[in-house]
Amino acid sequence: MLELRPILSALWRHKVSALLIALQLGLTLAVISNAAVIVQERIQQVTRPTGVAVADIVTAHIAPVAKDYDLLQAFRLDLAMIRALPEVVAATVSRAPLTGSGSSSGVQAEPNREVGATPAAIFMVDEHFIDALGMQLVAGRTFAAEEIGEASETTSWRSNTVIITQQLADKFFANTQALGKAIYFSGEDNPMEVVGIVARNLGPWPNSTRAGNAIFLPILMDTQKHDFIVRAAPGQRDGLVKLLEEKLAERDSERVITVKTLEEQKNRYYAGDNTLITMLSGVVGLLTFIVALGIIGLTVFWVAQRQKQIGVRRALGANRSTICRYFLLENLMIATTGISFGVAAAQIFNHFLVSAFNQPPLPPATVASCALALVLISLVAALIPSLRAANISPATVTRSL
Amino acid sequence: MFGYYIALALRSLRTTPILSALMVAAIAVGVGAAMTTLTLNYMMSRNALAHKDDVLYAMQLDNWAPDRGWQSPNEMPWEINYKDAISLLHSDIPTYQVAMHRWGGPLSREDSELRPYSAEARVTSRDFFALFDVPFIYGGSWSSDADSNPVYQIVLSQQTNEKLFNGENSVGRTVNFNGAPFTVVGVTEYWQPSPKVHDLNNGNFKKSAEVFLPFGLHRSFEIYSWGNTNGWKGEVIDSYETHLGSEYVWIQYWVQLDSAQQLEDYRDYLTGFIRQQKAQGRFPRPLKFGLSRPSQWLQLNEVVEDDDYMLNWLSLAFLLVCLVNAVALLLAKFLRKASEAGVRRALGANRRAIFTQHLVESGCIGLAGGLVGIFLTTATLALMRQLQMGALDSVAAMDWLMMSAAIGLAILSSLLAGLYPAWRISRTNPSIYLKTQ
Repeated sequence: MLELRPILSALWRHKVSALLIALQLGLTLAVISNAAVIVQERIQQVTRPTGVAVADIVTAHIAPVAKDYDLLQAFRLDLAMIRALPEVVAATVSRAPLTGSGSSSGVQAEPNREVGATPAAIFMVDEHFIDALGMQLVAGRTFAAEEIGEASETTSWRSNTVIITQQLADKFFANTQALGKAIYFSGEDNPMEVVGIVARNLGPWPNSTRAGNAIFLPILMDTQKHDFIVRAAPGQRDGLVKLLEEKLAERDSERVITVKTLEEQKNRYYAGDNTLITMLSGVVGLLTFIVALGIIGLTVFWVAQRQKQIGVRRALGANRSTICRYFLLENLMIATTGISFGVAAAQIFNHFLVSAFNQPPLPPATVASCALALVLISLVAALIPSLRAANISPATVTRSL
Repeated sequence: MFGYYIALALRSLRTTPILSALMVAAIAVGVGAAMTTLTLNYMMSRNALAHKDDVLYAMQLDNWAPDRGWQSPNEMPWEINYKDAISLLHSDIPTYQVAMHRWGGPLSREDSELRPYSAEARVTSRDFFALFDVPFIYGGSWSSDADSNPVYQIVLSQQTNEKLFNGENSVGRTVNFNGAPFTVVGVTEYWQPSPKVHDLNNGNFKKSAEVFLPFGLHRSFEIYSWGNTNGWKGEVIDSYETHLGSEYVWIQYWVQLDSAQQLEDYRDYLTGFIRQQKAQGRFPRPLKFGLSRPSQWLQLNEVVEDDDYMLNWLSLAFLLVCLVNAVALLLAKFLRKASEAGVRRALGANRRAIFTQHLVESGCIGLAGGLVGIFLTTATLALMRQLQMGALDSVAAMDWLMMSAAIGLAILSSLLAGLYPAWRISRTNPSIYLKTQ
């Protein structure tokens, strides 16, 4: 600790350079802690469970060329063909979740109410849907084959039974048994009895506030908006994409067939978040790298400037570790100054991001861990030139004195 | 003199290659990050209808629920319903007016090898091309009776015409769309506004329609919009007719009003229209409608999202750190060369000359940094296009303006960074260095 005074006086002579490094570390802390908290939030958002077997599901869409096409009949024949394939575990026809397009409506726990409806995604499905989506039934039963009604976009369809997500059941019937109770479309009096509850389904819009509210109705819908949702046996998914294209064209070639994996569609939905995650991680990495380079550059410069000093100190009995420690200590003092400034700057920057752009608040733990990481990195950066300083031979330097 | 300074700067940079490379890298990375987000924000903020910004208006009507407005900044739905669109089309006040929505379906040519493919369509009233200034290569729009009667006429985009007819004049030929034969009446020139200001609720940066169809076809095809359809109350839809007559909103509506008088007349007309509907028990909310110019429409629809602005600020903070870094490195470099400056001072160069010389050196570093920065920006934008899986293809690209902006930003940053170090070195006392020589 005897070294503090000489370090301080040496730093005073280089106050601008030292301040610049401190400033750099402080600003870096402000940027990377804020970037880190955003990245953390988005990763959590993107990786949370969807409730469906995303990795195994393939969707297939058929658009008939002919004007008057019996779509329901095609659905039935195609599904029978698809289900017979050995690569297929289960299949249904409905709208795929996680894609960013779907339909939703207000739902109520009481009839004839219009105010305060809970928005929920609506899926019209047949009896195979739980298996086809790889969902988990936590209570009650799935639909029976004879329960499935038929409807088109121009017929009024209403169902007497419904399956809902656990999240919706908790919302409507907290602490009580949801099975057997009825829910209603907003403002209507037609009761839909809850016959089953599935563990989870994020619905068509995972980033919206209504994500996780979903109801499933036993209706085979005559609409071009519906896709076949096919769950492949483990490891068979990619092969199934090609196979479905072929088989669907084989059964009826006069239609435009589009087969996609659900994973791709989910990635497309999350593309904005994934871009942000990659970009911000890049910012964090590059910034840290640049600051480290700056520290190395400046320490190299100082070591070069003080070659004679170091030589004299070595000749007067200072050993290598003392010299090394000197430079590390010097760096630590600069880093601490910069970081304390950075903690304040991070809070101010975060306040701005929260209020102006709706970003998450910055928890102290994140600032602390980022600060610690930066101090460590600055020490490592200073270590390289410090070791070189310690290797300066007293003989060569003092010769020219 | 300037040439001499540049020669000096280059020599000085060559003597400390690592330090120089570090500085160039710092500026390049900072400029690269800043320019990536600036380019995105600049491209996303473009207004393809800027030249008609004072005459075009996107129209909104507030037909929403009595107890709650629509969840948009001005609390009105983006789209209107079919029956209102049909009524409003009868007005003779606007110079042009367009009711439209997105649709699509299988497209093919009878006697062609080409397999049917799914084409993006826009179902629209005939003024679309005149209102949005879409030029034609061949033919033109359909006749005006096609807006209210089923007329099987179609306008192809240039790309579609290339695909189906190898770019020949296809006016009068027949294509098959959604299972019915359509006569080609026109082929539009390449027209891809980005952001897609005329259609901001189907992906802001996606491609525009491949075919255009008349507005009178709804009943014969039972067309449902390929865009958003929203309702606020329980309505029994048991036929296509009840769908068309419902309060569901799914139609985008634009008008062109060339004079202040027209604008005023149209406001009066809309007020009258809503009053009349209110008398029939519709439009339960306070009387309100929206007429937004293209520039206002882009803002209202938040085409540039919060995330984009946030990235912009973060990257500017990034540039700031890089600048501070460059200042520190420049200071170290200049101080190391202080003896040279001392000699030049002793030989008669004044402080101003020393200052300028070092500023020129910083500028050279900035120029190099800017060039590398452009490369980095291009690479980052390419990465972004890939990460966005096609959603940003039309905006994540640099134009000449942005490239020159990158160079400008780099030189400006490096000059700013060089100010203090150059000033500091110009204050050196020549005698100290002469003594030790």
